[in-house]
This record gives sequence, C-alpha cells and structure tokens, in this order.
Amino acid sequence: MTTLKIRQLSDISVKTNAVWKHTAAKRGRSIVGMAFYYFVLLSLSFVFVYPLLYIISKSLMRPEDVADATIRWIPKMFSLNNYKIAAEYLNYWPSFLNSIIISFGSAILQIISCSLIGYGFARYRFPGQAFWLAMVVFTFLVPPQTIVVPLFTFFLDLGWMNTHLPFIVPAIMGHGLKGALFVLIFIQFYRQLPHVLEEAARIDGAGAFRTYWRIMLPLAKPAMLVVFLFSVVWHWNDLFEPNLYLLVPEYFNLSQSMAFFNGIADMSAQQAGASTGAASAIGQAPTLQNQIMAGVMLTILPILLLYLFTQRYFVESVERTGIAGE
Amino acid sequence: MKKKLGLSMRGRHILEGYSFISLWIAGFFLFMAVPLGRSFYFSINNMESSKNGLQATYVGMLNYRSAFSTDIDFLPLLKSTMTTMLTQVPLILIFAMFSALLLNGKIKGRTIFRGIFFLPVIIASGAVLKELMQQGAAQLPIFTQDDLFNKLGGFIPENILEPLLKYADSLTLVMWDSGVQILIFIAGLQTISPQLYEAAKMDGATKWESFWKVTFPMIIPMLFVNTLYSIVNMFTKADNKVMDYINQQAFQKNNYGYGAALGWIYFVLIAIVLAIVFIIFRRSLAASEGRG
Repeated sequence: MTTLKIRQLSDISVKTNAVWKHTAAKRGRSIVGMAFYYFVLLSLSFVFVYPLLYIISKSLMRPEDVADATIRWIPKMFSLNNYKIAAEYLNYWPSFLNSIIISFGSAILQIISCSLIGYGFARYRFPGQAFWLAMVVFTFLVPPQTIVVPLFTFFLDLGWMNTHLPFIVPAIMGHGLKGALFVLIFIQFYRQLPHVLEEAARIDGAGAFRTYWRIMLPLAKPAMLVVFLFSVVWHWNDLFEPNLYLLVPEYFNLSQSMAFFNGIADMSAQQAGASTGAASAIGQAPTLQNQIMAGVMLTILPILLLYLFTQRYFVESVERTGIAGE
Repeated sequence: MKKKLGLSMRGRHILEGYSFISLWIAGFFLFMAVPLGRSFYFSINNMESSKNGLQATYVGMLNYRSAFSTDIDFLPLLKSTMTTMLTQVPLILIFAMFSALLLNGKIKGRTIFRGIFFLPVIIASGAVLKELMQQGAAQLPIFTQDDLFNKLGGFIPENILEPLLKYADSLTLVMWDSGVQILIFIAGLQTISPQLYEAAKMDGATKWESFWKVTFPMIIPMLFVNTLYSIVNMFTKADNKVMDYINQQAFQKNNYGYGAALGWIYFVLIAIVLAIVFIIFRRSLAASEGRG
C-alpha cells in the first residue's frame, strides 16, 4: 500500500519533472526567438514612425538648428515659432473648418448611404443583382481621371463650383471618394450576419426598412467605424477633388492650403536663390523646410488625434467586419 | 396581414431589394455611367469653350493618335508608372504578408504595433507625402547617408550595387504603402482555424511547411483582394505622375478632349493589367472556393 503510494508519487514527480524540462527547453529557445521577433518588430516600427518623428523634429527647430550639422533630431532650443508662421500661411481655422465639413460630412453621409446599399445587396436576391454588383466593382476600378472632365463640366453647369456640394451629393448616393469600396465592405459585413434576427423581426410585423434600421444597422457598428475612419482620412488627405471644385482660397481645405503654402515657400526660396546667388539659397531653404513641416503637422494633427483615440477599436473591427472575405 | 399593391411574396422581395440599392443605381448613372459616356464623346471631339459653353467638333481618333505620336511626355510617364507598379506591387504584397504574420502572433503590445504599422496610411498619404518626398524624408537615412555605398563598394561591383541601393530607397515607400494590405491579411489570418495547424503539426509538418500548405492556400482570396487594391492604389495615388499630367492637359491647357482621351488610354491600360491579374488568380480562387 505505502510502496504503491510512493511509486505513484515518484511517477508523478518524474512526469512533472519531464514536463518542466520540456517547457524549460522550449522557453530557452523562445527567449532568443522572442528577442529576435521583437527586434524585427521594433525596427520595422521605426520605419513607420519615422515620418512622424521627422515632421515633429523639423517643425520644432529654429533656422539655426536646421543649418547646424551636429543637430539631427533634437533641436537645442524648442521653438513654436514655425507653427505660428505656418498657421498664418495656412489660414488655419477657415481651412480647418472646410476640411471638417468635407471629410466628416462626406464620411457620415457615406456611412448612411453605403450601409443601406450594402444591406440591399447582401440580403436580397433580385434579377440583375449580379450585374449591379459587377458595376459596384467596376466603379471602384475606374480611375477618377477617366471621368474627371465630364464631372467637372457637369458640376460647373450646375453651378456647384466653390461649394461643398460636389462632395456631399455623391456621398448621399453612396458614391464619392471610394464609395464603391465602402459599399463592398458593408456587403461583406452583412453577408456574414445570421438570418435569424431579421426573420424574427419580419414575423413580428416589421417592414423591410424598419428591420434594417432597428435590427441590422445597430449590428453593423464595426463596419461603420471602419468606413467612417477610412472615409475621414481619405477625404482629409485628398487633394485631387478639392483642387478641381474648390478654387478660391476661402474654400480651401487644409491639404490644399498646405500645398499652396508649399508652393509659396518654393517660390520664395527660388527668388532668394536668384537674387543673392546660390550660396544663400542653401541657407534659405532649410528655414522654410521647418515651417513647412510645422504646416504638415498642423494639417495632420486632427486626424492623428482621431486615429489615436479610435485606433484600438479600428484594428479590432477590421477583423470583425470580415473585409477579407472575397 | 395587409396586402399592398397585390404583389406576391417574391415580387415584394425583389421590389424591396431594388429600393435599397436604387439610390446607388441613380448615383451610378449620374456620377459614373453618364460621365464615362460623355468622357468618351469628349475624347473623339475637339472641345472648345465659347460663349454658349463647350463646342464640340468631331475629330475621330485624332486625340488618341496624337497621344501616341506627337506627345513626347505621355508615353514615358506611362512607362515609368507601369514599371513602378510592376516592381512595387509584388514587394508590397510580400512585405504586407510578412508583417501580417508578425503581427498575428501572440505578443505583448500587439495592438500598439498594429496601430504603428497603419500610421503611414493616416499621415503619409496625399499632400503630406509629397512634402515629405520633397525634403527627402521618404527615404531612410541608413541608405542615403552613412556612406553605405562606399562601404559595400568593396564587396559588390558598382553597377549591381547602384540599382540595388535605389531599390532599397524605394522600400520605405513600399512599406508605407502596405498599411491597408497588412490589415486585410491579418483579418484573413484570423479566419484560419487553429485546428488546421494542429493537424499539420501532428502530421509532422514544420512551421515552414505549414505556412505553404495551410496558411498560404487559405489566404489566396485575400492575396487577390490585396493585389487588386494595390494596383488600383498605385495607379490613382496622389504622387502618380500620369494623374498630374492628365490634370494639367485638361484643366491648365483647357484641352478637355485630349485630357479625356488620355484618361481613356489610362483606363484601358489599367483594365488590361487587372484582367491579367484576374486570369492568374482564377484557377487558385476556384480551387479555394471549392474547398469552402
């Protein structure tokens, strides 16, 4: 009896010992592996953070610091002067307001319209569906350049130049910047939801639109977040359409003002070079460089903040939307 | 039950379906189909603005012909866009796949790393990318400064080294361009059930083998989506020279007809590239669909 017990105990101890050894060996290997893993991740991360670091560092430098070869990243004296100058050149608050109207307005409208359209495609079977679905993909693939001239004349004839209507109206109809892509994201998302909820709602007497609005739309929050963030960011950074439809500086959005500011800086650098010779142009250009970077920082700061707060949900919801399905 | 319009169940279902997408169809005609048609009409005409708006005079294929014969800038631009596309898209796909595998592991700070990898999509697109490139900040200093050229010059012949370093320079842009693709790959990797890996491990597959036999076939659909996305993105990016050129022709020189023709040539070229991609992926996509 006792011997048996001892035997059992020793058996167990042998077993646990073996297990312990096994994990230890594994862990020993994985520590080296992990270190390498993190090294790769961190060095790649550096490449991705690099533009941001560059912008911040340059924008805080005074002209002397930029010219100083010993200073690479950290300026001797932090100066916010660049930001003051850049904000003035950018005409910051009006441009900011225009950017907000264009990007947030379009994004919200695109969420509403694209989710409605995506739902129709994902949950209904009707003749001609395959054709229209192909047209959605087609719309995504056609480069904006091909249709830009007629669109321009169309909006010109309607008198929509220098208004926000060329952004707002297509967004209402599920078009606009990458609208087709957003429709596809919603289609993909609605397809993977179970049919049971809808059927229950329909049996309880809810109409088609009510079922959509009360039951399905609230479930689509992850897809909505993804579409919202993408739409805001792409509209914010877009230069192509605003440059066509917003021609007066009062209607410029931030990206446009930034490009305009960059143009001014380029010209004045050239003039300085032309009037006083090449030697001073070398000294002149960097002083403008840091002002431009301050402008860049001011341009991206709003969406950077937005991303900072939504980043966690965003990456998670990309997974949950099942965007990756065919 | 109230009966509306005397429709059958099926008829009502169809009507409801169409009413959901009717908004999109209307938009499709307004902002895609009609402009596309008019753009083709513009391209075979000479458009001149007069007091009563645009005046069209039919010129046939003249605009298309002059794009290929008299225009000395367009073809080189087209060619350089194509070569960048052909070299960078495979790199983007490989890099995005690699990063997705890295970020899919169970590691600390995974969310933060994912957030960082996506950062360039937020900041370094559009106008900002242009400014960064102008200042040379779109290249890592490791490649340009630090004397790498001379140091490596001792080991590798110069005529091989130079294009190699140029290629390495463009790597930063490649990495910045792959944010969306990384996310799509991660989402794809999440859908692969762990049981498959377990089964592969039981059968004695190494990590390398299970990547090629399990992971890779399972994410071919995402590879397809990413290829399409990368190509379209490459062709329509803010720093694309052809886009700038067409704009310049149409709106600065007010040559609407010629601009529209260039737009169509560009579109046809993209369509050909995409068709080739479709053909390449058709077989493997059919195989992966058959598997369920």
